[in-house]
Amino acid sequence: MNALLAELIKLKRSLSWPVVVLLPLALVVSAVVNTLVSGQPLEDGWATLWLRSLVFGGLFPLALGVGTLASLVWRVEHRGNNWNVLMSGPTPTWRIVVAKGIVVAGLSAAMQVLLHLAVLVMGEVLGLPGGMPVAYLGISALIMIACVPLAVLQSGLSMVLRSFAAPIAVALVGSGISIMLLMAGLDAALVSPYGLFSRTTQLGTGTFLDDGSTSAIDVVMILSLSVGLTAGLLAATTWFINRRDTHA
Amino acid sequence: MTSATVKGFTNEFAKMRQLGVVPVGSALLLGVLGLTMIAALGDPSFAEPRTRSWLPMLGGMSMGVALMSPLMLAVLASRQVDIEHQGQGWLLSATSGLTPGQVCRAKLVALGAVVAMITIATNVIILGVGLALGVPAPPPVGHWLAAVSGALLVSLVLLALHVVLAAKVENQLVGLGIGVLGTLFAAFASGLPTWLAHLAPWGYYALTRAAEYQGESVVLLLPSWPSLLGLAVVGGVVFALVTGRLDRQEV
Repeated sequence: MNALLAELIKLKRSLSWPVVVLLPLALVVSAVVNTLVSGQPLEDGWATLWLRSLVFGGLFPLALGVGTLASLVWRVEHRGNNWNVLMSGPTPTWRIVVAKGIVVAGLSAAMQVLLHLAVLVMGEVLGLPGGMPVAYLGISALIMIACVPLAVLQSGLSMVLRSFAAPIAVALVGSGISIMLLMAGLDAALVSPYGLFSRTTQLGTGTFLDDGSTSAIDVVMILSLSVGLTAGLLAATTWFINRRDTHA
Repeated sequence: MTSATVKGFTNEFAKMRQLGVVPVGSALLLGVLGLTMIAALGDPSFAEPRTRSWLPMLGGMSMGVALMSPLMLAVLASRQVDIEHQGQGWLLSATSGLTPGQVCRAKLVALGAVVAMITIATNVIILGVGLALGVPAPPPVGHWLAAVSGALLVSLVLLALHVVLAAKVENQLVGLGIGVLGTLFAAFASGLPTWLAHLAPWGYYALTRAAEYQGESVVLLLPSWPSLLGLAVVGGVVFALVTGRLDRQEV
């Protein structure tokens, strides 16, 4: 618990907040600008706006955002003498790993909340017919859960790689490869946190891998994969850092 | 070039050995190749060997460059410059005769050479794949070279932007964040009106597209050179001014 409290204190002056706010806004605004200049209306109202913001974001920009957040959260530990202080303190490694993972996942969840709100506000401003479908609340919640393994993976990468930029490059490549494999019909690529996250952002939209109907099986699969991947990645990160050290 | 600047240039290559330039560069190369092949295989005319053409591949190549480059260039520049902040490299170089501005110029030339090599390698591989797949028509060499040189020019301007950004702003979030937003802009730019694409350097990738769909068929395009020339002049002048100022600042 103390490790988590320490992380929350570090967040107070963190540069993470601009990322959390700016990325969702950029996604929704670019979806709307794109719609306006292309001259194609939002033919399906809320569904089209959701699709152009969320599903596009889920292809790679949101994964880059999570990667950036993880790099920011770990950057301070790689500066000056902080790494030695962190590793030589009395806090067990797994607590540090879990605390950092919770913080990155929490920031990512905040990003999703803002994205949801931005779509809602933008839809109301554009005067889309009817209210925003209630089912989107559930999908947003699932996206936040599916984002946890991604956050833990990026947190682990940013812990091991001292560079700020390298883990973000991994996120772009990882997202690209996962989507390619999933599109090629290889469902096993869902064990990649990038693939799982992309797949979840497409729920209910009928695009890419989604057939438009969200079944209980999909939900159970996403939940169980999220839990399993999170546990596995946390264990792997802890195991790694207990035996190895970071390098540039 | 004086011997000091030549030394600065070769030093940058020595620094690259520890900076993961090979994985990042390979990611750029493989990403562009992958998107090229996805675009080609997604075109129905490509399935049949007799109707196969270079155009979907060229269009895919342009799209891949626009999608992959903004972030990968930001990563390359950020890593190459961040070590100077981390290890007090500015001061070390300055005391051994290379001002920060000269270091930045050496970094741009060195990284530019790497990006140019990646670009050449990517396109040679695409040419090889096309020949191996037995595309019947001869490759449209003129249009191809023009599009590749145009896109390379845009990449070099972006690289210059990211080098000075990473040097001036120590927090690498800023450069990477701009790279992410640039990716978004580049992804949308081909759908924007041309004047809007001119507003930010990432949009210029859209002006270098080798081919695009007009209705059902793909047509070859030539880059709009006046716009690209304008971008190069503005980018070059800004880079010269900023690195010139770095030369006269205390480290």
